[in-house]
Amino acid sequence: MSKNQQNQRSNPKRRGAPQPAPNRSPAGRKYAQRQATKQQAALAARRARNRQVGIGSIVLVVVIVVTLVVIKVAGGGGSSNGSFSPAAGTPIPASITTKLTSIPLTTLVAAPTSGLIRSPQAIKDPRLNASGKPDLLYIGAEYCPICATERWAMYVALSKFGTFSPQPGRIHSAVRDGDIETLTFYKTTYSSPYFTFTPVETTTNQPEGNYYVALQTPTAAQQKLWNANENPATFPWLDFGGKAELISAQYDPAQLEGVSFDNIASDIGNNSTAVGADVDASAKVLIQTICSTLTADKPAAVCSAVGNG
Amino acid sequence: MAEQPNARWPGLVGTVASIAGLGIAGYLTYEHYTGSSSLVCSDKGIVNCLEVTTSTYSKVAGVPVAVLGLIFFVVMLILQLPAMWNRPGSAIRRVRMAWAVVGLGTVVYLLYAELFKIDAICLWCTAVHVLTFVAFVSTVFATVSTFPLDDDLDMAHREEAA
Repeated sequence: MSKNQQNQRSNPKRRGAPQPAPNRSPAGRKYAQRQATKQQAALAARRARNRQVGIGSIVLVVVIVVTLVVIKVAGGGGSSNGSFSPAAGTPIPASITTKLTSIPLTTLVAAPTSGLIRSPQAIKDPRLNASGKPDLLYIGAEYCPICATERWAMYVALSKFGTFSPQPGRIHSAVRDGDIETLTFYKTTYSSPYFTFTPVETTTNQPEGNYYVALQTPTAAQQKLWNANENPATFPWLDFGGKAELISAQYDPAQLEGVSFDNIASDIGNNSTAVGADVDASAKVLIQTICSTLTADKPAAVCSAVGNG
Repeated sequence: MAEQPNARWPGLVGTVASIAGLGIAGYLTYEHYTGSSSLVCSDKGIVNCLEVTTSTYSKVAGVPVAVLGLIFFVVMLILQLPAMWNRPGSAIRRVRMAWAVVGLGTVVYLLYAELFKIDAICLWCTAVHVLTFVAFVSTVFATVSTFPLDDDLDMAHREEAA
């Protein structure tokens, strides 16, 4: 006999079993029987309702799951950024690109640098040129969250010296690597009268095995430079014409984790936000470095405005 | 006359589901802490365990979901043991039911993340989800079909009085 059965029998009133019939008159026994019958009926009704609630909850769960699957199969309700991005990204609204390429220099100059954790360092490599101009070489990967972090500042800074055509597309670092919203320089062309910009995105953000689908391969010369830097063959890496290098993001990628693309774009240019201050300050440092290593302080309106840091 | 309890089948179903869930959650936890280097699953296309188990959704407040699954099934296993079903009183039933609901709610959230955020399905995770659902269904049916709860009796008494 189980414990609850023992309990039930030892405490019948609590368990709802009918009371043992005391010595009663026939009328009393009939009354007790009627009471017991009523109690059983009420109990049965209550338990029927419990069953309905139980079955209803299970059906509800099944309906929710089926609805999710149907929505997915029908192609609706997808996430705004999906698991993988097209390698060249998705188009960014002109209102956003216009805003990011027009952040006033005074705003960048005023950005506090307290959030920066790294800055470009001088190197003495052979001059890096392309098409007769100093070259800014960037090697990164679309899956890479640190690259995703630095690209925002790069885009703001590079826009002060030239133009992209087409504009960078919107991507995000790999879902399993921070899922940080950003833009990509893959399939863009940068034109500047002062220097060339050579972006190399080595992978997409689409996993393949334990790594990612390959995208662009550095040339042998680029690979050699990349391998020789202070932090060999790691992302992101910027080589400012062989005169300076940046071996990681200038600010903490965690700043951007969980922040939407639109919110990041909105914060940039607003130094009162943490994201805005860090991106603006990083862009300022990049501009200073570009001025001193690639453009001989041209254009003066830009370089003189940001100073030498 | 109140029905006699029949604690065998829910205890058995829930226990078996919990043991199986515990095994899979343990495997996923092991893989989580060993870099998922030996995860037996497709890593391409829609069925991509690695994509799911290493995504940003594989942690909740910094705690790996696999570990949360492990904790869930350890507790659920204890709650589903036949001895626990045979305990009198409604408190244990409430706790068991609440735990099953928490587990199922988490499953729905993770399914949503897989389908709409990660765009990948993890078969091991799906197995865990199914086992959680089985434990939930077992708990619901067992709770409402075995002997009445004290609350049921109280409610029945009130209805009778009314």
